[in-house]
Amino acid sequence: MTAELPVFEPVTKEEASRIGTAPVPAGPYYQSDYFDAECEAVFRRSWLNVGHTCELPEPGDYIVRELEVANASLLITRNRDGLLKAFHNACTHRGTQLVSEPCGRRQVFSCPYHMWTFNSDGELRNAPDFDQFYVDKAELNLKPVAVDSCGGMLFINLNPNPAQSLRDYLGPLADQLETLPSARATTFSEYVYEIDANWKLTYDNFQENYHLRFIHPKTGAATSGKDNPFGYPLRYGFHDPHRTQTIWSNPQPQIQPFQMLAFGKGMQFAMQDGLVGSEQSKEYYAVFPNLFILGSPMQPFSHTVYPISATKSRGVIRIYWVGEDDCASRRFAREYAMGLARDIHSEDRAVIEAGQRGLNSGALTHIHFQAQEVLCRHLFNMVDERVQAYRAERQTGGAQ
Amino acid sequence: MNAANRLPAAFAELEPFVDQWCLATSNERTTARRNSTPEEREAFFNAGKVIAADALQLLDQKPLDQLDDKEQCLMSLLLSLAHVSLAVEIQGGDEARHALASQHMPITRSPSNPR
Ligand code: FES
Ligand SMILES: [Fe+2]
Repeated sequence: MTAELPVFEPVTKEEASRIGTAPVPAGPYYQSDYFDAECEAVFRRSWLNVGHTCELPEPGDYIVRELEVANASLLITRNRDGLLKAFHNACTHRGTQLVSEPCGRRQVFSCPYHMWTFNSDGELRNAPDFDQFYVDKAELNLKPVAVDSCGGMLFINLNPNPAQSLRDYLGPLADQLETLPSARATTFSEYVYEIDANWKLTYDNFQENYHLRFIHPKTGAATSGKDNPFGYPLRYGFHDPHRTQTIWSNPQPQIQPFQMLAFGKGMQFAMQDGLVGSEQSKEYYAVFPNLFILGSPMQPFSHTVYPISATKSRGVIRIYWVGEDDCASRRFAREYAMGLARDIHSEDRAVIEAGQRGLNSGALTHIHFQAQEVLCRHLFNMVDERVQAYRAERQTGGAQ
Repeated sequence: MNAANRLPAAFAELEPFVDQWCLATSNERTTARRNSTPEEREAFFNAGKVIAADALQLLDQKPLDQLDDKEQCLMSLLLSLAHVSLAVEIQGGDEARHALASQHMPITRSPSNPR
């Protein structure tokens, strides 16, 4: 028990300075014109996580997702051949939302208004009294959206012909996501929150550990220690536009007795399921623009921050499980793991909103990121590059 | 106290906690945690923590879908105990402050919820 423990060595200030050192303008964290530009430059051009493939395992399964950032409602189906398809959830007659249930299983989708009927490939199959129209049926398929999955995570791209495939977009992350527990998940626990805060301000909270000891004095105890009082990560990785961190954990964590019972069960099932010992188990992936995935075998979660307006967002957190609950101990271990993760996540919301209230007045022209907030800085860099390129593109376009 | 035997005989000492803590969904359990008093949480946690391992061992002998009503009630108590333990064992004196945050994060899906 007295064997030497490795001493924590943080990422140095010099290393982190590679991503930049200048103060970051505050406007992009509350101004609506910047938000509007982000919607176009980032959210209409990037692959966006909208769910997990285990939500639609069988041919005929479908889900509906509201994507406020694009004012869009999306219908995602698995067609008769088992392939994923995605469409705007809008009837091509006069636009009526086709499906109102959040999920289900169906071969055809009939519009409630005049009963136009589409199949799971989005093709218009039937339209009453169609002879009265002045258009070809073949032109009236549902408007497609690009869809693909990687490591179980389901992504859409609002550009029906994306500049990059999902795998190219994810780059070196793609292979790693395939190895995570979330790639094998068949079900999940989920908790959600609405927040009066910009999506970047919200997301940033979950990619810096500087706040842990102040905001998570109790739940954060396991992730800090004498030689790493702030619980900073071991490493940061940059794979533009994505980023990663390798989480440090206290080699001698203080685990409470009842917690030990729950963790013991959780570990037993994680081992039984072959989830333990992966190289990615300490990796925390920040997939551009708004998705996190944690590779941990016992609490493998995803956290997506959906923008709603410049100062409003919604978070969706899911903890992934392999197989249904098959015995009492497994059910108990999952309930505990979800409860603990949620306790930690819930502690952040109020202080993020307080940050937004402080920024909204414009009193601060800039904000400052320290070396250990380098992932926040990197997100801003990635977003701002795209926003500036989009604005330049608009200006040249407008001058013609 | 309620005289009904709603739990397997070996766990009868938990009968007084059934009304408050035998709940159907994860969100109901965390809501009950939030709406309870520190005394209620401590009494339940102290009674539950000593039998939890034995109770799980008993329940593990059957597939979950074959548990009878009493066993299901015991299962549900153990799941509530997981939530309550977070309040008593982890948050301690911070639970009142923590509860303010927790109400904004409803649990919308859980494998332990009824289908
Ligand atoms: S709007 Fe859908 S059938 Fe008319
Ligand atoms: Fe936090």
